[in-house]
Amino acid sequence: MTSDLARHPELERLIAKVLDRGTWIASGIITSGLALELAGWPGMRIVIGGIAIFIFLPVLRVIMMLIIFVRERDYRFSVVAALVLMIIVFGAALGVHMAGSMSG
Amino acid sequence: MNVEFSAWLFAVSLGASALGGTLGMASGIFIVPILITFGGIEIHEAVAASIVSVIACSCGSAAPFLRASLTNIRVAIVLEVATTLGALTGVVLAGVLPVPFLFLLFAVVLLLSAWQMMARRREPTNALENAGSTDWATALRLHSSYPDGILGRDVSYRVHRIPLGLVLMYGAGLISALLGIGSGVLKIPAMDTALRLPIKVSSATSNFMIGVTAAASGVAYFALGEINPSVAGPVALGSVVGALFGARFLMAVSSEKLRLGFVVVLVALAGQMLLSAFGIHWSGHAV
Repeated sequence: MTSDLARHPELERLIAKVLDRGTWIASGIITSGLALELAGWPGMRIVIGGIAIFIFLPVLRVIMMLIIFVRERDYRFSVVAALVLMIIVFGAALGVHMAGSMSG
Repeated sequence: MNVEFSAWLFAVSLGASALGGTLGMASGIFIVPILITFGGIEIHEAVAASIVSVIACSCGSAAPFLRASLTNIRVAIVLEVATTLGALTGVVLAGVLPVPFLFLLFAVVLLLSAWQMMARRREPTNALENAGSTDWATALRLHSSYPDGILGRDVSYRVHRIPLGLVLMYGAGLISALLGIGSGVLKIPAMDTALRLPIKVSSATSNFMIGVTAAASGVAYFALGEINPSVAGPVALGSVVGALFGARFLMAVSSEKLRLGFVVVLVALAGQMLLSAFGIHWSGHAV
């Protein structure tokens, strides 16, 4: 019965761990960048790095789901996860394109 | 970078996130109007900064829900196809739509949120037996169960009307990217009316989804160079810390008084956004 349900206990625990750790790491990096900046040192690039990690965390979560679905031979959900990833990559390309057309 | 302004951004985000968290609202809906009205920050920059804090809050608060088996990650990834597509549409529209229209839309979303907060959210009736074997949710194996602490056992639920849910979620993704918010306004009807998920599952799952949704617009805004680190950094930090506090507050404060207080704040911010839409501005900066 349980196998019919939409539960993935191991994957859920793994994602929980990655998101939790990732939040601490990104927050720590942003804090240190801001602290440097406030102390009069150049720290903004470090802050940008922390922000980039935050944005990447959910993407990493989708990549993890894709890997697990492929491994479980759940091809239908592999396609779904791949589709979400493609849309996000397309979003990045869209941003680059829009930035180019604005400056050019 | 100005020390006082950074401290102000951090404090405002912390407060918005802590208070929002106690009623299950994302902080963006408060942060964006406050940044614009009192911080003198341009709307696109405020939206981009808020998107980062939406992601940060989603990631920072996901773990307990996942460990408690409340998050339905299969439902999440299916709906994320729609929310991320909506988010990209929102990014494109944000570049085209006139700013007064964005203010007007924000006012509407704030008023709808106030109305939603007044109306009690009822646990959707979750019929276990009715669904046919040909529906999407069965084919995609989305039905599940969650452990209920009060009942002390697992409660099974079925997922209904995925196509309608996808349409509403596309709209939620669009509004999220356009206004830099979690857009609970559209997610709550989608989760309750279309999918008919139990409230605990619905909250956990939509909190999980908003991270990916906001990341889709986040990568675009990042590439566009609209994320100003001296604004987005303190806002993201404040939101994460506030979300941690918010969870603690939850028990301590009377939620009835809090609810009423929120309605007042939402209506006031809506009024402010309306004034901005018609070109009437506060002149003041916070610092």
